[in-house]
Amino acid sequence: SPPLSVSPAADPAVISPQDPTLLIGSSLVATCTVSPDFPLKAEDLYWTLNGRRLPAASYAALGPSTLSVALARLNGSRQQSGDNLVCHSRDGGILAGSCLYVGLPPEKPVNITCWSKNMKDLTCKWAPGTEGETFLHTNYTLKYKRRWYGQDNTCQEYHTAGTYSCHIPKDLALFTPYEIWVEASNRLGVAVSDVVMLDILDVVTTDPPSDVHVSRVGDLEDQLSVRWSSPPALKDFLFQAKYQIQYRVEDSSEWKVVDDVGNQTSCRLAGLRPGTVYFVQVRCNPFSIYGSKKAGIWSDWSNPTAASTPRSERVAGGCDPKGGEQNTTLRRELKQFFGWVKKHAYGCSNLGIKLYDQWRVWLQK
Amino acid sequence: GDSWGIFTFLCAALCNLPALPALNCSEELGAGQSIQQTYDLTRYLEHQLRTLAGTYLNYLGPPFNEPDFTPPRLARAERVPSATVDLDLWRGLTDNARLAANYRAYSRLLCYLRVLDGQVGTAELRHRLAHFCASLQGLVLSIGGVMSSLGYPLPAGPAAPPAPPGAPAAPNDFLKKMDDFWLLKELQTWLWRSAKDFNRLKKKVPPAVVTLRLEARGF
Repeated sequence: SPPLSVSPAADPAVISPQDPTLLIGSSLVATCTVSPDFPLKAEDLYWTLNGRRLPAASYAALGPSTLSVALARLNGSRQQSGDNLVCHSRDGGILAGSCLYVGLPPEKPVNITCWSKNMKDLTCKWAPGTEGETFLHTNYTLKYKRRWYGQDNTCQEYHTAGTYSCHIPKDLALFTPYEIWVEASNRLGVAVSDVVMLDILDVVTTDPPSDVHVSRVGDLEDQLSVRWSSPPALKDFLFQAKYQIQYRVEDSSEWKVVDDVGNQTSCRLAGLRPGTVYFVQVRCNPFSIYGSKKAGIWSDWSNPTAASTPRSERVAGGCDPKGGEQNTTLRRELKQFFGWVKKHAYGCSNLGIKLYDQWRVWLQK
Repeated sequence: GDSWGIFTFLCAALCNLPALPALNCSEELGAGQSIQQTYDLTRYLEHQLRTLAGTYLNYLGPPFNEPDFTPPRLARAERVPSATVDLDLWRGLTDNARLAANYRAYSRLLCYLRVLDGQVGTAELRHRLAHFCASLQGLVLSIGGVMSSLGYPLPAGPAAPPAPPGAPAAPNDFLKKMDDFWLLKELQTWLWRSAKDFNRLKKKVPPAVVTLRLEARGF
């Protein structure tokens, strides 16, 4: 018989249950009942689940136009929009369908961490708490309230710092403990994280330092001088800043950290290798906020800045790694080239070895 | 490569147009350019839709993402403007009527898509849908621009009605999946046919100066 492509007035069949939600491992008996307007019998029907035909052994005719199917020990849904259980007529036409949502209830979200940028806002992130998946779409809601004041607030701006994050842009009080928690919910249930208590002033971070410059110290082969500006927000707020520097040689991934920079905006790196390109980054930690003794949260590192230590022209008796030698020959030639360019070409004043170093930093990203 | 960049740029420009006067340079000059832009936009949307539909149908799961899948059109109420019409009938329409039909169809398709955007599960899909809706909005404006430059009145009513017209939401999740499937299918057919329409229209309207006029909106 030709495929059922006519659009009838009523739905051709009805499936029960329609769009159920089930725990993983549960069993289900579904029935498909053909509408009386249709000349179809139970033996003219068959079932598919996610496009795969289900074995006839699991069918049972419950009436002249009702066919059931038994599904045992269901796995988690193949897609979050639900598994497609479909009742077909013999020729393959679709009579009705039901979406099965098979999964697990959510687990408590964990590891809530928050930070405030310049005491103006609060961003929090968390982890889902389920080792594997729930197989169902799970909604997360971050809530917060001032301790001892009744009203719960709900965070609105999600995904600002990754999937499991939320941003509270305003109306936050300082010197006040806040209670913060995350609620996870899906079709099978709700789970609430433990409550985190914090004062905005405890979790303040700021922008990385700006205008980081690295330069040589005269002809000293083993030193570089680093200078930077304090982040602009510093002058608006009553906090001090302490800084940290990290640096590495170009072809290494190991950063060396200078911890005792204090609150100066310059520092000299010593004990460096001559004739080597170094990448340097600086970050800032606001502390002593409104006079408290506590430290804040370290900012991101500034963009890497590059510079090279000088190398004396006298050939030293020491050994250089092979790569280093090629490097320095290239650099020397480049410097000579740039010197020539400056003299003979107009408008190329920005061209120089510093620009070449920045390019090498950019290459490493 | 580069062409897609230009189309996106045009899209963004068109979506920022509050009204259409920027396309009204001189009637003939404007028309030629408008039609070309609209054609290009249609092709770009076809391309975008292929990726969007692929992702969305995978989200719906098998059998929806199977290549030859054709569910029945269960006629509760035919909500989505159907692209299947008698081709002779279609070609027999005046340019005005054909343009107006395109304008109305895409306006309605756009608002169905926006409803979809509000309900869909994954962040990736929402992102793609939002992007597609923005481009489709550009197409509606672009068609309006062509009609204006040819001296045709715009179809009555708002360009993009705020709520889907009339019909109730699908009574169950499976029927909703079928509705979504057909929405994407119809969109595909509309875009395919519109490209042909605009190509034909291009040949009717005398070609103008080849320079792209981007004087509007500070570009």
